[in-house]
Amino acid sequence: MHGEYKVPGGKLVVVDLEVVDGKLHGVELSGDFFLEPEAALAWMTAALEGLPAIADEAALAERVRAAASGAELLGITPEGVAVAVRRAVAGGAQ
Amino acid sequence: MNDDALSAWRTLPWQILRDAPTAPAMHMALDEALTEAVAAGTRPPTLRMWEWLGSAVVLGRFQSVRNEVDPAGAARHEIGVVRRITGGGAMFIEPGNTITYSLYAPLELVAGMSMAESYEFLDQWVLAALRSLGVAATYQPLNDITSPSGKIGGAAQTRRGSAVLHHVTMAYDIDSAKMLEVLRIGREKLSDKGTASAAKRVDPLRSQTGLPRPAIIDHMVQTFRKRHGGTDGQLTTAELHRAAELVETKFATEEWLHVLQ
Repeated sequence: MHGEYKVPGGKLVVVDLEVVDGKLHGVELSGDFFLEPEAALAWMTAALEGLPAIADEAALAERVRAAASGAELLGITPEGVAVAVRRAVAGGAQ
Repeated sequence: MNDDALSAWRTLPWQILRDAPTAPAMHMALDEALTEAVAAGTRPPTLRMWEWLGSAVVLGRFQSVRNEVDPAGAARHEIGVVRRITGGGAMFIEPGNTITYSLYAPLELVAGMSMAESYEFLDQWVLAALRSLGVAATYQPLNDITSPSGKIGGAAQTRRGSAVLHHVTMAYDIDSAKMLEVLRIGREKLSDKGTASAAKRVDPLRSQTGLPRPAIIDHMVQTFRKRHGGTDGQLTTAELHRAAELVETKFATEEWLHVLQ
């Protein structure tokens, strides 16, 4: 399952994942954004892994924000990641 | 740029490197090795003008191979894929089709600036160089160099210890038809650009300057030297060894390339 979101004035956020037993699984987050340090990508991905697939945008964004609190984000936002996750889940049949 | 900003550059002992043609994976490795060297204090602040030995797709640190590269198109045109250490978007490189450079600077040069501010600050000399060649170049945040007739190039940064790497690729004369066979440029990516055609995203420097590529590079180096100073230098044996080691252990490995599938 695949979802994309272009952060307005920012960069493209791409999410690939599966839903297994109602939970997000195998989450991969990618795009042409900037993160410092680079490990912040793994922090955010880990924060999404295992969340309920029905989690709404606000809940997803909150998890991502907490995971990335020690990082500098440029062109990517927790809200943008949340939108891309929701799009991936909603487009599930693809 | 005000006097304070110029003097911040002037106080640094800049070294200028003009590459011999270098393989794409080695370029990736040199960026990491030279950023480390500036952070360690074994190399002075440096401007490196790149020359490419081969064609490549250069992925940003956080991009997925699958989402950015068309494998059939890349194979047909014999284009390899490498991943760099900075974020940002994929570039389609053929020797002579772009102008690429890196700055390796101590963080003190951008002290007190946000990352977004530092992007524009570190490319002011390039805007000046392009303007004096008749290109109405401006900075478009976050990280683009653009002109009234279209985007010219994009910058990317990362930091290692006390050093910042800032590198830029500008389009000189890109075969956009071939680029679109090799890169996947999605509709979502263009959604807020107001751009009807992906092929129009790159506006070659050649058409706006009427100059051969080496003349533009020479002019850029002259502009840098005039504003900020700088002496010609060379890569050291230790730096070349370190970069070759990074090619072998990182940049030429499947693990690094496919760190994002």
